[in-house]
Amino acid sequence: MSTSTPARGAWRLVAEREITTRVREKAFLIGVAVTVVLVAGAVVAASLLSGRSSTEDIAVVGPEAAAIVQSADDGPIAQGGDTSFEAVEVASLTEAERALQDERVDAALVPGDDGGFRIIGLSSVDSTTEQALTAAVSQTVLQANAAAQDVDLDALSAGTTTTTSVLEKSPENEGARTAVATVMVILFLLTVMIFGLQIAQSVTQEKESRVVEILAAAVPIRALLWGKIAGNTVLALGQVVLVVVAGVGAALAVGELPFVRDVGWSLVWFLVLFLLGFVAMATLWAVAGSLASRVQDINSTTLPIQGLLFVPYFAVFAGNDSLTEVVSMVPIAATMVMPMRLATETVPAWQLGVAIGGTILAAVLLVRLGVRIYERSLLRTGTKLGYREALSLAAD
Amino acid sequence: MIDVRNLSRQFGDHLAVDDVSFSVRPGRMTGFVGANGAGKTTTMRMIMGVLAPTAGEVRWNGEPITADTRRTFGYMPEERGLYPRMKIRDQLVYFARLHGFSRTDASSRADDLLEHFGLVDRADDLLDELSLGNQQRIQIAAALIHRPSALVLDEPFSGLDPLAVDAMVDLLRREAKDLPLLFSSHQLDLVERLCDDLVILSGGRLVAYGPVDELRGQGAERYRVVMDGSDAAWLRDVRGLEVRDVDGATALVDLDGISPTDLTRAALDHGPVVEVSRARQPLSEIFREVIR
Repeated sequence: MSTSTPARGAWRLVAEREITTRVREKAFLIGVAVTVVLVAGAVVAASLLSGRSSTEDIAVVGPEAAAIVQSADDGPIAQGGDTSFEAVEVASLTEAERALQDERVDAALVPGDDGGFRIIGLSSVDSTTEQALTAAVSQTVLQANAAAQDVDLDALSAGTTTTTSVLEKSPENEGARTAVATVMVILFLLTVMIFGLQIAQSVTQEKESRVVEILAAAVPIRALLWGKIAGNTVLALGQVVLVVVAGVGAALAVGELPFVRDVGWSLVWFLVLFLLGFVAMATLWAVAGSLASRVQDINSTTLPIQGLLFVPYFAVFAGNDSLTEVVSMVPIAATMVMPMRLATETVPAWQLGVAIGGTILAAVLLVRLGVRIYERSLLRTGTKLGYREALSLAAD
Repeated sequence: MIDVRNLSRQFGDHLAVDDVSFSVRPGRMTGFVGANGAGKTTTMRMIMGVLAPTAGEVRWNGEPITADTRRTFGYMPEERGLYPRMKIRDQLVYFARLHGFSRTDASSRADDLLEHFGLVDRADDLLDELSLGNQQRIQIAAALIHRPSALVLDEPFSGLDPLAVDAMVDLLRREAKDLPLLFSSHQLDLVERLCDDLVILSGGRLVAYGPVDELRGQGAERYRVVMDGSDAAWLRDVRGLEVRDVDGATALVDLDGISPTDLTRAALDHGPVVEVSRARQPLSEIFREVIR
């Protein structure tokens, strides 16, 4: 008569249920879509606003000025600043001023009263434009003067060049790197909070609706815990991967391939560390859920975990570099802070190793302790449990 | 067979269940009665393993019960609980699969039970859209979904109308014909009608246990005599019986030496007789007697 045997892979069914229930929720899908669009949009906007490869239109009077603008366009300042200069020929000074007022051009280069040249802007002159034009004027005029005097300009200027170098090279695109780091931290915080609360809530709801007693009679309690952790980890990691892919995709679409190459590894480490950190914390969220007896209790039972998340966050933003360096190696906190450092600086391999090793160790210990508490607190309905009480239950 | 042996459970200073022993035999419905707080739910939770006993043990077919065996049991907890925002069919399929059913088997089993309760057209409704009676039906379906090896049902009939009770009893008779089945109830008339064996708890202690027929027979042989018009008070003078009650033409007597034939003959000697019959002691009376 009896044909039932408890399912071995019960945790898989629990995980499957967590995932399918969640992806059917409109709020969840909208949340994912909004995050993806926001991140992709931010990447595109940042790339456009960063003013790379801008073109400055310069009104010129006379062929000489036009030649100077051309040489400014070829010059090192234009190359370095990713700016190109284009001459717009006008008939007179008056017309150049009118073009400026109409904002048809960004600046004007006209013959000066002293036989030199004058750069005119509307209210100000862009510093790159000013430097580039000034250098081009002096070079062009010097060359002309030297030719007139029959002087070898190259011989005259030999040894006058200076080059600059630094001992500690700061990485290129520092602003963009900091932006990537900040987005990673916020993404980490948000995702862990949202999915963590989701775990706690789904545990408490099962307690509140009393279905947990039937579940506990059907499958081992730890299978319930594993299933919840697995299901929500898949969801959370899925969302984060989606966001990263959207961000990278957007960056590639606007032609930021070199920058993506620069920060690519830090993104990969971010995903690895996110996975470790999420699993380590997932048990804590489940335990917090099992301590609550009603959904309203979750706010107070999850408070210590929220603290665990935000303390390193504030430590990093309020503290100095050496504090950040230490926090980036503290287990679990590392999963949020280390990717940030990886994006903005070169991190010694041993520090990354400490961060990952410590977090794996912490995850194993927390999951073990969490299972013990969870098995004992899950069937305690009626009143909210405190952590101390739960730990004493676990010691039974 | 489920054997409960010397089971006790202490909550703080309060001894909720005190050294209780009984068996739930296969193919017999065992009724579990007792006043509120007598320890029925605590005992059932210990049988199911969701609560650890302070002392004593539960055995299954002579062996100490294992977690794997318990998982083959069907259980309906006192506090009803399923997923309120999940479609009822999905829910039943989910529970069947948790018990190791394949997706196909789980689906056909769920459809079968839904059909028995006439809920096929509600299959895609969320649980909390159903009436309380229908929710109760789904609850019992969830306890039966995995073809359990034994059933432990805490107040399965509470809140059901008589027709719903009949439907559920039919289902239990069909599904649990050969299984050990323990169910608690406050409805003594129902227990009387359904049960083969009876367990009565009072204040955490076992006060009566055995086949219902035997428990009833523990008292003397009780007969009802109804005379046609004449007073039945003459029975007070008959030797070999004890009169429990006389009310005009009707009397209730316990035989204590004479046979039913002698009683009938004596009645005929005193005038026309309407009825001489065996009076079954109602369960509620046994209940009141033993928990006093």
